[in-house]
Amino acid sequence: MGEADVILVIVVGTALAFDFTNGFHDTANVVATSISTRAMSPRIAVTYAAILNFAGAFISLEVAATVAKDVVVGDVITPTIVFAGLIGAIAWNLATWYFGLPSSSSHALIGGVVGSALAAVGTEAVLSDGVIGKVLVPALIAPVVAFVVAGIAIVVCYQIVGRQRPGPVTRGFRLGQVVSGGMLALAHGTNDAQKTMGVIALALIANGSLDSGADPPFWVIISAATAIALGTYSGGWRIIKTMGTRIIKMDAAQGFSAQGAGSAVILASSHFGYPLSTTHVISGAVMGAGAAKRVSAVRWGVAGNMIVAWLLTLPMAAAIGALTYGVTQIFGDGAVGPVLIAAAGIALSAVAFARRARSPVPA
Amino acid sequence: MSVVAQIVDWSALAQTAIAALLAGVGIAFAFSLVILGASRLSDSSRELGLFGTVGYGTLTIASLLACVAAIVFGIVVMAG
Repeated sequence: MGEADVILVIVVGTALAFDFTNGFHDTANVVATSISTRAMSPRIAVTYAAILNFAGAFISLEVAATVAKDVVVGDVITPTIVFAGLIGAIAWNLATWYFGLPSSSSHALIGGVVGSALAAVGTEAVLSDGVIGKVLVPALIAPVVAFVVAGIAIVVCYQIVGRQRPGPVTRGFRLGQVVSGGMLALAHGTNDAQKTMGVIALALIANGSLDSGADPPFWVIISAATAIALGTYSGGWRIIKTMGTRIIKMDAAQGFSAQGAGSAVILASSHFGYPLSTTHVISGAVMGAGAAKRVSAVRWGVAGNMIVAWLLTLPMAAAIGALTYGVTQIFGDGAVGPVLIAAAGIALSAVAFARRARSPVPA
Repeated sequence: MSVVAQIVDWSALAQTAIAALLAGVGIAFAFSLVILGASRLSDSSRELGLFGTVGYGTLTIASLLACVAAIVFGIVVMAG
């Protein structure tokens, strides 16, 4: 096995680790509203989400191609650039998880790859039209749309069932949440697992192991699906807490409206080719469902912290990606830099998990 | 600003927003009607009479079918 193959193995392993943190980090997007309204028990909700995330990864391969095509110039990308970008994304995902903040794994991945490509090649490596037109502007608009849709949806729900007995209405909306939460999980699996597939495909192409333009091999698809499902099953309970109870206290109708609006925005965006952040969308929908009932019901301080994390995601992941690439180059173009950084990353992640395991999830 | 205006496909973004609005509010409307119909049927089926029972039963089934159709459409969109 040559040094190029060693780097490729490290990149694939790192990409699957990112996929795991993606599932782990984004579990909250799908299950928090169902758990907080008691539509499902926590363990059943994460198991259900994990299964549908796994299934969702097999539905389509369009997003996998988009990640490799519209963000950076594929011809100048090397496996080490992809590796550095992934480290940027994982580091930001773990940092925001540590503090219980829902931020976008998708934007962390894109930011990390853009940052490392900028450091390695310069501005000519980045497709700025794609980054602005397909990532940044939709990232700003999508949560606002989700906020408005969820707000109108909950008003419609209350108008129709407002005079009915609360017991059957709550039971009905809880049942509806099983379906709306399932749609969210499926949408998340098909979007986010494919981003990892796209990154692994990019590394395989850069290594000459896959023809440019070819679909990811089946082993890439099934390993990405498995990693995101395992991450989802592991569950990021801190973020579930933030999403489920710390933004607003939801009733079942609000949970259903938020999940329905979130699913609608993600599916509509997928249809029109926008790689969206499920985190941004469902967070906007949760705030919309809360604000439509009573503006003061939303804890705007928590919402403000989340918005700051959103705004910081792209630049911070890019900065970490660029820094990581710089550090790998201290050791030359070989496998030594990626091996040392991967080892350091595993050690730091273990420390972070150990510290968090000792402290309870905040109430 | 004009550079951003040229890069971004505003038409597609507007279509996305409108499609999301129609789907998100539509599914909330349809599922609320399912709950309304089922709730009225279970609460007062004796008081409704034949006309009311058939009416609310039809409302419940039709709304439920609309919800199922929306879900199937959503999966088809994802697969496409």
